[in-house]
Amino acid sequence: MTILYIDTTTNYLYSAISMNNQITGEIKAKLDKDLSVFTLPKIKEMLEEGHVDPKDVDKILVVNGPGSFTGIRIGVTIAKTYAWSLKKKISTVSSLMAMALSTKKEKIYKVPFIDARRGYGYAAIYDEENRPVLKDQYMSIEALKCAIEHLPGEYTIITNTPIEGLENNCEKYDPNFAKIVEFCKDNVESNPHAVNPNYLKLTEAEEKQKEELI
Amino acid sequence: MKDVYIFAIESSCDETSCSIVKNGTEEIATVVLSQIDIHKDFGGVVPEIASRHHVKNITMVIEECLTKANMTMEEMDAIAVTYGPGLIGSLLVGVEAAKTLAYLYQKPLIPVHHISGHIYANNLKEELKFPLIALVVSGGHTELIYMKDHYCFEKIGGTLDDAVGECYDKVARIIGVPYPGGPTIDKWASFGEDTYSLPLPLNDDSYNFSFSGLKSAVINLVHNEKQRNQPIRKKDLATSFQNTVVKIISKKTMKALKDYQVNHLIIAGGVAANQGIRNTLTTLCEQENITCSVPDIKYCTDNATMIAASGYYAYRLERTANLDLNPKSSIILK
Repeated sequence: MTILYIDTTTNYLYSAISMNNQITGEIKAKLDKDLSVFTLPKIKEMLEEGHVDPKDVDKILVVNGPGSFTGIRIGVTIAKTYAWSLKKKISTVSSLMAMALSTKKEKIYKVPFIDARRGYGYAAIYDEENRPVLKDQYMSIEALKCAIEHLPGEYTIITNTPIEGLENNCEKYDPNFAKIVEFCKDNVESNPHAVNPNYLKLTEAEEKQKEELI
Repeated sequence: MKDVYIFAIESSCDETSCSIVKNGTEEIATVVLSQIDIHKDFGGVVPEIASRHHVKNITMVIEECLTKANMTMEEMDAIAVTYGPGLIGSLLVGVEAAKTLAYLYQKPLIPVHHISGHIYANNLKEELKFPLIALVVSGGHTELIYMKDHYCFEKIGGTLDDAVGECYDKVARIIGVPYPGGPTIDKWASFGEDTYSLPLPLNDDSYNFSFSGLKSAVINLVHNEKQRNQPIRKKDLATSFQNTVVKIISKKTMKALKDYQVNHLIIAGGVAANQGIRNTLTTLCEQENITCSVPDIKYCTDNATMIAASGYYAYRLERTANLDLNPKSSIILK
């Protein structure tokens, strides 16, 4: 089983090839504004270096959010076009779940956090067995802090932007591809047409419209 | 010569579209998924919402186009895509999809300028004859372009502020016509009488246009009438406004044709569907013995058919891109 993993939900491109449960190629590249430029060429390069023909990929595992709206769309568009074109299996995984799975610390609550500016972010809390205690959501940092305070045990925050006041409990996100792919390899498969970003947030225009209706 | 099939994707604004065109002239199949009903609620296109719908629909539109044509991606000679100008988030979805297709099927990737697409929409009716002057009028553009040959674009004039289509939509809003109001103004214009006096904007010897002043003049006029408790005769105002626009556009277009000694005019872009502009320029050209080409109404709005038509000539000229192609919100046509 060859799985292609794609995550472009932040300013990094994280991608990997897993062949029979072994990671045989990986990319961890800070691309920032060039995400749309280099994502596909870098994936191509990775496949070539691993002597993997695009047709030999059996399944695509794509991170579909939350995170940067534009970033999410880059990965999801490539993944669904790929899966549709070559009739490959495709399933999705949450960026927060991928982050939670990547900590080296064990027997601990995992708090993945993606900063969304203005005191807000995308966060979740997973327990020792990676079950969601607080499901993926867009929330204020204050509310997250409050949820953390009430945790009955030790915790670690996995993030690329440390939370003020909790810096000592923060660790930098470094994806553990083997663990992510292993944990998500049986995630429910979708029809490529139905694979969509999970933004966890309405657009500003929709929010404003909703407020007006209330 | 072997037939060339171009598969094209267009997603620069609020339409997700795919098309297959043979030899740059013959439409095989086109699918256009418009989001207009979604954006109507917001009084205009909301970029983030547009992007979200593109990513949701892109593979379905690709599939439907191939099904409609009863062809496979393997049979295509190249993948063309609009890479700008347009809404960056929207463009991005089309470009990433096109890049992925080009990579997986090992086809040349052809970047197409959106305006070049609008110009080549005319090629679907009758092959372009050079030299020509192209009048590009849309919600985002008002330009006069001189072309000596395929893919030789020389911009000789353009709007200094608002595009003509933008001005139509804004004027529509001022007089209370729901978005997109441009086509309604055009319709009303044929029923009203030219009774309001509006200034002819940027009435000089250049090939440039300016529409923000005209828009302000309409705002002031409506404001003044309201203060005097005079009801606005909407249809008359539509007629006066449209006549002013048509007058300045046709004056500068005819001047360009004369100065450049060109006998072919093509009208392109969404506002090419405007009856006032179409009819006036067609009549003026007839009088001067100039051939005037206007695209079929269905090719005036954004569609991938025109991108495939333009892409064919880019393909012939080997104007291809690599997989690091990046969409741009504004690019010069060259």
